Formats: sequence, C-alpha cells, structure tokens
Amino acid sequence: MMRNNLSVILLPTNKCNVNCEYCFEDKTNDRMSHEQLSAIVTKLLDFMDGSGIPDLTIHWQGGEIMTMPAKWFETAFDLINELVHSRGRTVSHGLQTNMIGYTPRWNDIINRMFGNHVGSSMDYPNLYRKLFHGGPDDYTKLWNQKVKQARDSGISIGVIAVTNEETLRLGAEEFYSYFVDELGITSFQVNTPFPGGEANTTKDDLSVQNEELSKFFNDLTDIWVARGMGKGVSVGPVDQLVERFSDRPGSLPCIWQPNCADEFIAIDSRGFVAQCDCWVTSYPEYFFGNIFECESLTELLKNSPARQKFITRPRVTIEQGCIECEFLSMCHGGCPVRTYTYRKTIFEKDPFCSFYKSIFAHTRNVAAQLQEQQQISRHLIRVASKGIIEDGHLTI
Amino acid sequence: MPEYAGRRVIVRTHDPAELVREVCESSLANVEYVQLLSPDISPESLASLLGWGRDLPVDIVIDRPAADFSNLYSFSNLIDQHPMRATIKVEPGFSKAVKLAAALGFAVKLDVGQPDDREIEEMAEILELYLHRANVTQPIDYFHSVFLSLFRMEPVSLWLIQEEDPEHYSFVGPEAVENTSGRTALIRANRNEGVAAADTLLLCCSGCEFKDTCRSYFKYPNREYDCRGVISLFTTLRDAAEELRQDIQSAMSDSGVPRP
Repeated sequence: MMRNNLSVILLPTNKCNVNCEYCFEDKTNDRMSHEQLSAIVTKLLDFMDGSGIPDLTIHWQGGEIMTMPAKWFETAFDLINELVHSRGRTVSHGLQTNMIGYTPRWNDIINRMFGNHVGSSMDYPNLYRKLFHGGPDDYTKLWNQKVKQARDSGISIGVIAVTNEETLRLGAEEFYSYFVDELGITSFQVNTPFPGGEANTTKDDLSVQNEELSKFFNDLTDIWVARGMGKGVSVGPVDQLVERFSDRPGSLPCIWQPNCADEFIAIDSRGFVAQCDCWVTSYPEYFFGNIFECESLTELLKNSPARQKFITRPRVTIEQGCIECEFLSMCHGGCPVRTYTYRKTIFEKDPFCSFYKSIFAHTRNVAAQLQEQQQISRHLIRVASKGIIEDGHLTI
Repeated sequence: MPEYAGRRVIVRTHDPAELVREVCESSLANVEYVQLLSPDISPESLASLLGWGRDLPVDIVIDRPAADFSNLYSFSNLIDQHPMRATIKVEPGFSKAVKLAAALGFAVKLDVGQPDDREIEEMAEILELYLHRANVTQPIDYFHSVFLSLFRMEPVSLWLIQEEDPEHYSFVGPEAVENTSGRTALIRANRNEGVAAADTLLLCCSGCEFKDTCRSYFKYPNREYDCRGVISLFTTLRDAAEELRQDIQSAMSDSGVPRP
C-alpha cells in the first residue's frame, strides 16, 4: 500500500562513471530500453488504478543517469507523458546525478522534465569520491566545473553531502562556509554514512560516531539559523526539523517516516523491485521480485516475503524502547538499511538512535527559542507603534 | 443504508473490503465515519479503503491495547486520505496505544469504564502528554472536549463526548436490530426507573464541581465507584483551561485588544 502519491526510485542504468570508495551499489552494465520502461510505467499505472493513488513521482537515479544519452530521456519523457495522461494521472520527475557526465546537451531535457533542477552529491572535504583515473581532488575539480557550467545555464543544483571523519573534525562552520559561501549552494542535505554493499577498508572504517555527529549537526543547526534561515538557504534535515517543531507543515526525510514501505519502491534497470535504491543495488536477498516477470505490481508487493519484513519492522522496533521515546512521532525506529548494514538485521532500531535524539532535542529547543523571539519582536513592534520607543530607547 | 436516509450514520465493520463492496460512494453523504471493529485486518482488506470515500473519517477500535497497539502501524498510510481516530479501551497498558496513535497523527478517543488506580495513573500520564507534548497534534478525547468545554465555560456532557448518549446514538447490530450495551443499557434501565435521560445527575454527584460535564458518567455501571481518581483528572484539565484563559487574557491586554 502506498500513500496519496506513488513514489518510485527508478534506475534506468546500473552503470556508473566514477569510482567512489564508500558507494553501496554493486554496479552492472545493464540499461533499460524504452520498451521496458513502457512496461514498467504501465504496471505502475495499473497499481495506481487499483490502489486509488492519483499521482506518480519518478526519482531518476542510477548507477549514474548521465552515462545514458540525453536523447534517451527525451523519448522517455514523451512516452511516460502519453501513458500517464491516457489514464488521467499526473507525473512529476526528479533527477539525482553526480554531474560528472554533464554537458549542455542535457539542458533542454533538464528544463522540460526536471523543472531546471537537479540533485547532485559532494562531500566536504571529499575523501572518497573518485574518478576511475584520478583521486578525490580531481573529482572535486571536475564536479565544480560541471556544476558551474550547469548553473551558468540556469540550472539549480541541490547537493547531498555525506559526513566523514574529516567533516566532523573540521566542524560545521567550515562545512557550511564551503557549500554556501564558497560554492553558492543554497539547497543541500547532509546524510550520515553507512557501510552498504560489498565490504572494503573504507567502509570498514565507517563507524557510528553518534556523539561527533550530534555536535556537528547541532552546530550546523545554529549556523543555519544565524546565517541561512529566511535567506533562501535550506539545509536538510535541520531546517525540516525546525519547521516541524515550529508546527509548520513539511516533510521529513525517508529515514524518519512511520514506515518507508508506505512511501516508495525502487526499480532497477533489470526490473528488480526493492524498498529503495540502497536495497535494489546491493541486497538481492531483499528484492521484492522482478516487475518484468510478474503479472501485476500489486501481486508482486502482496506476495513478497521481503516486503513483509519491511512492513513488520516498526512493530518490532517499537518494543525496543521506541514507544517510550518522546520523539516517536519523528522517527519510528529510523532507517532499515542503516540498521542492516551495521547490525545484519532490519529488526533492530537504527544505530544512529542517540544522534537522532540529540538533533531532535536541539532543533526543538531552537524552534522554541525562535518562537519566543518572534513573540518578543511582535511585542516590541506593538510597543513601538504606541510611540513609546524614543530615540531608539525602549521606555516602558 | 437507504433505511437511514436523513440520519447521520456510523458504519461499523470487521472487514473494510466488504464495506467497500456493499456501500457505494454516492451513499456516503450521511455517513459520520467508518468504524473498524478490530485492528487485525488483512492488508488487502485495508487497502480497499485507499481511494474509496476520500476524506471520510475512519475509527479503529482497539479493545486489547497492550497486545494490539503496534497493529496501528497498518493504518498509517490511510491518513493522507482519511482523518483517522483510534478508540482505545482504557485498561492496563493502554497508554502505549495512545502514544503510537498520537505519533501517527491519529486522533484518540479513550473508551473508559470506571478506571482503577493503575488506569488512572496511565490516564494522568496521557493527560500530561495531551496538555504539554508539542508533537501531540490531534485531539485525545475525552480530555480534549472537556478541556475546551472548561476553557469556554460551556459545559458539554461527557455522555455526548463519549458517544454514549442514547438520545443521540443508537446501536444497530448485525441483524439490523437496535441493541444496547454497557452504560447505555444501564441508562435504558434507569429510564425505565423514571430517570429522564443519560445525563440525569445522580443525587450523590450533586455536590461535585464537575457535575455539569460528567453528569454522573463515571457512576456507571457501579454507583459505588470512588471518583477521586477521575476528579483529579478533571481538576488538571480545569487548571490547564484556567491557565490558558489567563495567558490569553494577559496577551490580549499586552496587545491592547479589549478583553472579551
């Protein structure tokens, strides 16, 4: 079952053009054909008809999207529109790319299909993102060139950054300054790392640093409030949390939803269906099935033992202390894949639990302080309007 | 359904799929809400509520809250299409169900009998959550309605809040026969004894500060029930309502807005 909107993470290729050390994906050279795409979208629409879901959102990612020609997406865009509109449905698209393969040839389809916005990824400092022939510095240099080129063409870039031990050592101030002041990025999200996929020495070193993460994210919250809030800078998840604690509507990241099984599915270029991109690229034992081989997506999801485990997970973790947690409504046991990569089971709560509690408590306090300040400001304005501020001094 | 045209109807079922099969959407106009009589419903049956009767409220009855509370997760994805409520029986361990329902954004109605000390303790914990926990965003009744009633100084009968006033609610069983149970049955019996209505005050309650709201609700079924526990909850609600009233008056004074 899904919500109002069917969100699908679609990987039309499992191929990638870079060699990041901490990547959780097991790459292949598979690529989706338009016929396969048409079959997938038809089954998605059948599923939506049966479930009363009106809208479809496709999050395109890989592998790496830009290992495919822009032309492929131009055809795909028309094909999807035709299928979706013939059923009276709506569709929207998002694009996640490393930007390494970007050329201006992409500009038209990025504009038409993705609203002139793409999501990309970069860390500060970059330790693990590498080209096949070159180190992190070469990667960073090329990424900066491509991002500048795209932005010069009017494309807005959002960035997902993953923290590493150097990020935490250098601190939030340097991190924020790099992205916002130096690169001019005004929309980014900071994720915690996890050792998904095939093991290597880099992943072996990705320990859960809850205390360090707490300090970093809490500092980042304060810096964002002081320098970015209300000035067009969004820093997920801290801005989303401040919004939530200020009783304003807004969504939280997928790791904190009641159950990610209600939120989306991922489908890769071979047709495998799994919970999200992390699972579909790395853990065959958690595949829900193959969309090319099933009669209907409804049946595939209904009969999948793996999906049943995801549905069951929060009912298990809630007995592990979550029911007594004051932040239950914000978290619900956290992310299955983070749990699985560290604990080898999804039936435990997220190992970043104490970090989450820390950031929830801090952003809640920040939201309360902001509300208090706003009340004081409103009060001062009222007092001022009564004419009892004279010569810049408050006289009560 | 046609028999109840012109009346507000609460449709109760164990199987939402059957409901969706039997009740066409065009006849939902007079349906107040759908009540699911158990949280143990198959995913397929539950899925039938997606895309059917959009915006029609759904109430889930949790009779064994300590054992069944985690089943509430099965309903979490309905909330985009239906306002959700959990009717939770007050018995030891019920607070877990309330906490999860609140965390999922569901409203709550406490199905309360004559709570013992342990249950009163859990109710007090939930009242604290309702009054002071910022992320409890939906009503927890009866607390919520009584709080508003005390805040506005407009008494509302607990019988009505709890949907147990036979003047307003009648229950029709599977054989299409009107029946009664619990407090309602006792009220009917009382009526036979000459008591006029559900909220007729018992003599023993005439000196109670909260009689205008409670209307002897907690004196059923056992009239000897010691009300001190529930009175402490009413007192907490009264104090909170008074505090809010004073806060608002103070804020209005500061802003120069005339007091109401």
